[in-house]
Amino acid sequence: MTLLSLSVSQVTTYATPPLEPSRPIARVRAGERRDYSSHPSKFLKSCSCEDGVCIDLNHGTTTLAFKFRHGVIVAVDSRASAGKYIASKEANKVIEINPYLLGTMSGSAADCQYWERLLAKECRLYKLRNKQRISVSAASKLLSNMMLGYRGMGLSMGSMICGWDKQGPGLYYVDDNGTRLSGRMFSTGCGNSYAYGVVDSGYREDMTVEEAYELGRRGIAHATHRDAYSGGVVNLYHMQEDGWIKVCKEDVSELIHRYKKGMF
Amino acid sequence: MALQDVCGLLEPPLFPQWTAPLSQSFMPEDSTHLFGGGIYGEAFSSWVPRRSGLNPLEFYMPISEYITKSPINFGQTPQSSNLLDVDHMHPTLPYISQSGALPFTLSHGTTTLGFAFQGGVIAAADTRSSCAGKVACPASPKVLPIHSHLVGTTSGTSADCALWKRILARELRLYQLRHRRRLSTGGAAKLLSHMLHPFKGTELCVAATLCGWDGDEDQDNEQPMTERYANTTLTSKSSSQSAASSGLSGVRGPRVVYVCSDGLRLQGALFSVGSGSPYAYSILDGGVRWGMSAQEAAAVAREAVYRATYRDAYSGNNVDLYHVTAKGWRRRERENLKEEYYREKERREQNNTGEKSIHSIK
Repeated sequence: MTLLSLSVSQVTTYATPPLEPSRPIARVRAGERRDYSSHPSKFLKSCSCEDGVCIDLNHGTTTLAFKFRHGVIVAVDSRASAGKYIASKEANKVIEINPYLLGTMSGSAADCQYWERLLAKECRLYKLRNKQRISVSAASKLLSNMMLGYRGMGLSMGSMICGWDKQGPGLYYVDDNGTRLSGRMFSTGCGNSYAYGVVDSGYREDMTVEEAYELGRRGIAHATHRDAYSGGVVNLYHMQEDGWIKVCKEDVSELIHRYKKGMF
Repeated sequence: MALQDVCGLLEPPLFPQWTAPLSQSFMPEDSTHLFGGGIYGEAFSSWVPRRSGLNPLEFYMPISEYITKSPINFGQTPQSSNLLDVDHMHPTLPYISQSGALPFTLSHGTTTLGFAFQGGVIAAADTRSSCAGKVACPASPKVLPIHSHLVGTTSGTSADCALWKRILARELRLYQLRHRRRLSTGGAAKLLSHMLHPFKGTELCVAATLCGWDGDEDQDNEQPMTERYANTTLTSKSSSQSAASSGLSGVRGPRVVYVCSDGLRLQGALFSVGSGSPYAYSILDGGVRWGMSAQEAAAVAREAVYRATYRDAYSGNNVDLYHVTAKGWRRRERENLKEEYYREKERREQNNTGEKSIHSIK
């Protein structure tokens, strides 16, 4: 009973800001305030997993991307979950920023969609101002700086920015903490460990394009097979020198069925 | 009898007491301990010889002082108030599952796996024991043979696993002596699960995969009943009801059962346990088929453990591999994965020097 009333009072406090705060607002660390009435992450915590409303920020997804000789392969699943409920089985987790840049989404769907659209806007403005396309490195830096501006405030986003620019194929992992890493292969989401096993095992630098497609599909398919929060279809993109192409959109149940039967 | 004496059963007629109502065979102050509730309270006799008759379910009774305290504080250093800061890989602390923090509960730091195929059962594990973020032992055996046709992989607290495996081995041996046949894998799993049940809610943490070959003791048939198993696909993780009948009907062949101290007992074709298990699962899902040969099976198991040690910090060092067939278990030589890691690194470096020439800067 007391727990329920506590969460209710916190809800009402957020909706109507108090005339005088119950605690003095103090900056404990740079960028963090102690005033709970306007702290989004504290508010969300108060709502989650009590009676009734459950706003659960899950990281329910599997996305993977890897560089190889002929470009970058990007593969994502398509399940959007809200707690135990599957909100969508065909969510789009890849945002096509421009014909040479892709961004994947994992974490909170709302945060990802908003911030990556903002990134798309910034990339377009860059192109208009400077008359040349933005590099992958700069685009990922823009996104990571946006994340750093809201660090500690409850954003949840794990994204991979993939593209092809003057330096060749580019792959960056950007996090809601502001982490920005360049690498050869990344996988995000709660199904990432399953995908890592498959892709680490089958990865070779000199793969053919078809082998790379198959590796990306397998990674997502096996992850969705074991992870409850991933599923739906595999959306597979291939970033080539002259832009990205969408390779396929295959149902994971079909894929698993084929793998079990020994067909490829 | 000397054996009964050793086991603490001083009263010769053990069997008639099995059917006696529980209240009669108990000491009054022990009456609650088997129902899970009173385990924290009352005088809990040690398993040195008891005065009155025994219930057959009382396999092992620990010293009472360890249990009378609240189990939450047992052996604990004071924790920080924020549960999320707890190092959940610490092997002496249980993993406290957080609602919403992680979508799956991680076992303790290890990678173990077991799967069945037409040529028997493969059980494999890494050999790293970690404690508080450090490697306590780089060469600990996590696959322990229980009897000639049964091995068990261990995950969880190392001490708990080692102890309960020995207790299980003792009980299986007693069963074999009493009934003149080996207990089946499913029966051994049930036995272990029931032995662990009184400790549910305490910090006991054992997640074992029992991998064995069931066969009749008197007619040691070397031909497995493969036709019953050949139709079961690996996608059906539930037990194949048609084949998995009781031991009396003579079910033979490979069997893998997962037992954990929460009380879960699952029979299936393929299990992997531990913090490295997700990495191993994807390899196994893609590589394990019923009809594979023993070499293929060993290669897949080794690759799965290697991939898990590649990505998981709490798994590593060597890989142990056991193969159980109708003739018993056989152990492959322990292989140091460091060699494999360096071989792969060389291969990647050779490939990379080829890559740099392809992407020219425009």
